[in-house]
Parts: sequence; C-alpha cells; structure tokens
Amino acid sequence: MLSIKNLHASVEDKAILKGINLDIKPGEVHAIMGPNGSGKSTLSQVLAGNEAFEVTSGEVTLNGENLLDLAIEERAREGVFLAFQYPVEIPGVSNLQFLRTAVNAMRKHRGEEEMNAAEFMKQAKEVSKQVDLDPSFLKRGVNEDFSGGEKKRNEIMQALLLQPKLAILDETDSGLDIDALQVVSNGVNALRAEDRAILMVTHYQRLLNHIVPDYVHVLAGGRIVKSGGRELALELEERGYGWLGINDEDTSN
Amino acid sequence: MKQAPMLSSAFLHPAGQTLPEPLLALRKQRASLLVDMPLPTRKTENWKYSSKYLKLTDEMAISLPAEGKAGNSLAVSGYKVVFRNGILIPEASDYPDMDGITIQSFSDLSNEEADVLALQLGSTLDHDQAQFARLNGARFDDGLLVRLDADAVLDQPLFIIHETAADTSGSAFPRIFVEAGANSRITLVEEYTSSGDAPAFVNTVTEFTLADGANVTSIRLNMEGESVQHIGATGVVQNHSSRFESHCVGFGGPLRRHDLQVRLVGEEAETKLNGVVVTQGKQHYDNHTSIDHVAANCNSEETYRNIAADQSHAIFNGRIHIHQDAQKSFADMNNKNLLLNNGAEIDTKPELEIYADDVKCAHGATIGQLDEESIFYLLSRGIGRRDANVLLTMAFINELVSQIPLEVVRDTAQIRLNEFFEQTFQEI
Ligand SMILES: Nc1ncnc2c1ncn2[C@@H]1O[C@H](COP(=O)(O)OP(=O)(O)OP(=O)(O)O)[C@@H](O)[C@H]1O
Ligand SMILES: [Mg+2]
Repeated sequence: MLSIKNLHASVEDKAILKGINLDIKPGEVHAIMGPNGSGKSTLSQVLAGNEAFEVTSGEVTLNGENLLDLAIEERAREGVFLAFQYPVEIPGVSNLQFLRTAVNAMRKHRGEEEMNAAEFMKQAKEVSKQVDLDPSFLKRGVNEDFSGGEKKRNEIMQALLLQPKLAILDETDSGLDIDALQVVSNGVNALRAEDRAILMVTHYQRLLNHIVPDYVHVLAGGRIVKSGGRELALELEERGYGWLGINDEDTSN
Repeated sequence: MKQAPMLSSAFLHPAGQTLPEPLLALRKQRASLLVDMPLPTRKTENWKYSSKYLKLTDEMAISLPAEGKAGNSLAVSGYKVVFRNGILIPEASDYPDMDGITIQSFSDLSNEEADVLALQLGSTLDHDQAQFARLNGARFDDGLLVRLDADAVLDQPLFIIHETAADTSGSAFPRIFVEAGANSRITLVEEYTSSGDAPAFVNTVTEFTLADGANVTSIRLNMEGESVQHIGATGVVQNHSSRFESHCVGFGGPLRRHDLQVRLVGEEAETKLNGVVVTQGKQHYDNHTSIDHVAANCNSEETYRNIAADQSHAIFNGRIHIHQDAQKSFADMNNKNLLLNNGAEIDTKPELEIYADDVKCAHGATIGQLDEESIFYLLSRGIGRRDANVLLTMAFINELVSQIPLEVVRDTAQIRLNEFFEQTFQEI
C-alpha cells in the first residue's frame, strides 16, 4: 500500500530524513519509535505534504501512485490522514463546520452527494461518542482551548469520520491519562481494517499493549536503524536506545 | 507655497427647499461657515492616509433628484424608511404608529418642531474631527427625526434604507436624528446602497442622544457601488446608565470614510462598538472612531476587524479620551487586521489620552496574514485551498458577524462576503 524508498528530506537546508525505506501492506500496523528529534514527525509531515519540508530525493507511492506529486488536499482525498502531534487551534471555525467541510470534500472527490447539516450532525455525534468527546465539542472552535488529551481524541474522531486508507498517528498517545489512552486505543483499533494501513509514532510501549503492531521500527538520525516485531518495543523499553549504537549526535538535533 | 485646495463653491448651494423655515435658516448659516473650507490633504492628520482617494468634482456638487430606480436592498418586513438620494420617500416607507414614538421626515415638521430640532442638529459631533459633517449641515435636503418618549420601546427594528441612484453625477446628503428618552429602547438599521455608475458623493450624518437608561442598537451596513464616494459621521451622546451598541459592516469603495464619535457624559453608561471592513481591488475604507469618557464609571468596548485583499487600503484610527473626572473608567479597544495580499495596505493607529488616574484601559492592534499552519491542517483533511482560505478568513470576523442581532442583516452581509470570497480566492 505505502512504499517509501530512500526518502531524503530537509528543512531550511538542514537534512532531517536521510534515506528512509519502508513498506506497509494493507491491514498492517507499523509502529515507529525513536529518540526526540530523530525525524519521526518530519516523516509524518512529509507524507502528508507539509511544504515546510523539502523532499530532496527518494520516492513515495500509495497504491502505486506517486504521492510526492500530489498536493496536500489531493493526498488527503486519496486516503492519507495525519493525526498531528500538535493539532492546530483555529478559533472562529467551528469543529462541526470544519469536519463537515472535510467530509464533503472527500465525498465530492468520490463522486458522492454532499451531506446536509442535519445528516452530518447525526453522524458526528455518534463518532464523538466513540472517542468520548461530549457533542458540545462540535460547537467549539477547532481545537480551541481543548486540553492536550481532547485534541488527540479530536484527531482520532477525524480519522473515524474520514476513513482514510493510510492513517499516520504522530504521538497520539502522548499526554493521555489512562482512561483516555484506552479510549484512543479503542478508536485506533476500530480503524484497523483489511484495506487500511496504520503508521503510529510513539515513545511508549504501553500503547502497544492496546494496539498490537505487526512491525516496530526504530528511527534515529533520519534513518530506520532497526526493524522487528512487537517484541522490539519491549526490548527498547527495557534497554533504551543505547544498545543500538545511537549516539548523542543522532539524538541531540 | 502652494495653496491648500478648497471645497468648490459649487458644493455650497443646496437645492431642496421643502424644509421648514428654521431648518432652511440653519442650513444657510452652516453654509456660510463653509466658505473657504479647505479640503483634506496628506498633511491633514486625520485624513493623511485617505485624502488621495477623495475626488470631488463640480459635476458631483448638485443634489441628485429624488426619483430614479431603486437599488437592491434588504428585503424587510416591518418598519422601514426609504431615502432616495437623500430625500425621504413616504410612499416607500412604512412607519410604526405607536404611542410615545415620533418618526417624521424633516420636511413634515412644523416650524415649532423644527425650531427645537435646529438646536439639536450637530450637537453630538466634534466637527473639527468630522469636517464633512459641516457640509452635510449646509446641504441636507431632508432627514429623519426619531423621538422616543420616556419608556417607549420600538417593538421591531427600524430599517432605514438609503438608496443612491447614480444614473447621473451628483450628491446625496441624508441626515438622521434620534432622540432616545429615558429608558426607551430602539434598534435601528442603516443600509447604504446604490445603483447606476455615474460618479456620486454620499455625505451622511446620523446622531443619537440617549437619555438616562436608554438602550440603542445601531447597525450600519455600507454596501454602495464602485462609483460612489461616501463620507459619513455618526455622533452619540450617552447619559447615565444608557447603553449603546453599534455594529458597522462596510465594504470598500473608491472612498469610504466613517467617523463614529461617542461621548459618555453620564455615569455608568456603556458603549460597545463592533466593526468589520472588507476591501478588495483598489478599494479604500477608513474608520475613525472616538470615545470620550467624560463621566466616571463608564464602560467602553471596541472591536474592529479589517480584511484587505489585492491592492486595497483599509485604515482604522481609534481614539479613546478619558477625561480628568472619569475615574473608574473601563475601556478596551481591539483592532485586528488581515492582509490577504502583499499589495494590500492596512494602517492602524490607537490614540489614547488618559487624564484620570484610576482607570482600566487596554488596547491592542495586530496586522497579520492567514496562518500557514492552519491552512496546512485544513488541506490535510482534504479541504480545498479556496475553502480553506474562506474558512480562515470568515474565522477572522465570525465573532463579530455572529454578534449582529438581526438575521436578515447577517444574511445580507454574508451574501456580500461570499461575493468577496468568490473574487478574492480563485480555485487553485
Ligand atoms: N520547521 C522546522 N525548522 C527547523 N527545524 C526543524 C523544523 N521541523 C523540524 N525540525 C528539526 O528536525 C529535527 C527532527 O524533528 P522531528 O519533529 O521530526 O523529530 P521527532 O522525531 O518527531 O521528535 P519528537 O520525538 O520530539 O517528537 C529536529 O532537530 C527539529 O528541530
Ligand atoms: Mg515528533
């Protein structure tokens, strides 16, 4: 489904990704771990099309189609979804209006009829329950004054509404209390499907107790330095990153 | 030295003679003060960004005739007063008939009534700041008088539709005077529209006096066409415990100027001024507001937003003057500006003069562009670039638009905003 070959990316002429190779098949869940500053969010943002990052070489395809050629919104319409590590607050745009505009943009792209406000309200309420967000959050500005955990749940709610082919979750578990972690994990597990790939960035193996990944990768210094099964996460939890030969230089910038 | 340009004497000859004698006399007296009125230049402090947009020609000096076809205006049911080219049209109007409420055209006043009004006209304004209110004083051909007795409540909003039929060049000088008695209550909407494309000049004055406990909501929609230059002034005097709320929504034009002056002369008076301005193309809009805290314990809250696209130019000048005896004043002024293109220009200037020591006074002004991170977030959800721009631009003014207390006005403004988005954000 997703194929990343020798991907290099930089920001303000500073190389961040230095040759990423990764293949994800439909139905699979991949976890990416790695020290702070190693490039995990950069990889996520590059896949979503953030123009702040420049792809200097490499190739990314989604179901055979060149992803890097597509505009941000086209990638989303082709099924790429990024749950942001730091979701943006947009006061003045209601969450409901935002979500309906997004859902209708997708529907239009698929040649389906747009949903009217009442129909959409019904669906949005159901999904908000699924992530344990009170429907009153739909009326508030997008992420406006949401707590950290509420923002993360709002991201998962969007994924559930938009039903992407590839869901990239950037530290969706960070800053969640135990109950919220359960709620978010249930949401992610609900996303798991035969025809959907999930790429999760996390620092914590505890998430992987709830969402069991098929593969775990370690990203350090802009490269994937180790890949393995679920047990790799346990090993990292126990031993840290040092044994992989990741030095300070890799982790400090 | 180059002589400052003067207002052409062609502008000093009023046409309509239907006013009662005391008002004709007042007009004549005001006209005599106008001889040698200098036109504003770049060096005129309160016109420095705007003088270059003012282009008055002698052809525009004559009063436009009261006939002419109607422009498109708010479809209203309820109370309305229609002015065409500054003349009140009774056949098109629909006055309330309620005890304690007088709504009359200036032309219909008796000499005794006109004598009283003549003493009041202009009393709410500082004419040195709103120079063109003087011109209106010398030229108004008609006007609307609204008097509410103590405790009178107008049960529905009063819509005042000002249509300028610019089929030929000329001017219109509509004038409104509202006297709100103690504890009376009124909501009044002024809508300025135009049809035709001959160069025209609209010069308005609207005045409100609020007695103790009066409650006035004023909505002003400026939507005239591309050939109309507009200079308007609104004066407000507030007595004890009165409340004034203003919502101004303006779309740009070749020249748009509105002076809004509020004087809080009685304690515990409250004023709230909201404003939204949208400009595009080569349009201009200049809002000058001024709030005088004369008495103690008053409250003023002002929120203005400008959005400028293309090569347009928006100006906000907000003056707050807290007089020496105005202890425990609370004043909050906030102006945010959104530049949609690099070629657009926005000038904002807060002017604070504080002579009392125990006051709370806050002010803030920002100029920014659409937030890139927010755009990325919206695009990453499949929303197209145009829709993302529209959502974020609307977000900038939503808070103010949603506070306008009448749905029909919100809808009318939204239709114009949608046209603005249509022209400003092409599908990419
Ligand atoms: N817009 C930017 N401008 C400059 N440097 C950037 C920018 N974005 C990211 N970087 C740098 O790129 C490097 C990788 O950052 P990235 O956010 O991808 O790390 P991460 O692996 O997600 O870290 P964390 O675990 O802390 O979230 C860091 O050194 C960061 O400072
Ligand atoms: Mg990160």
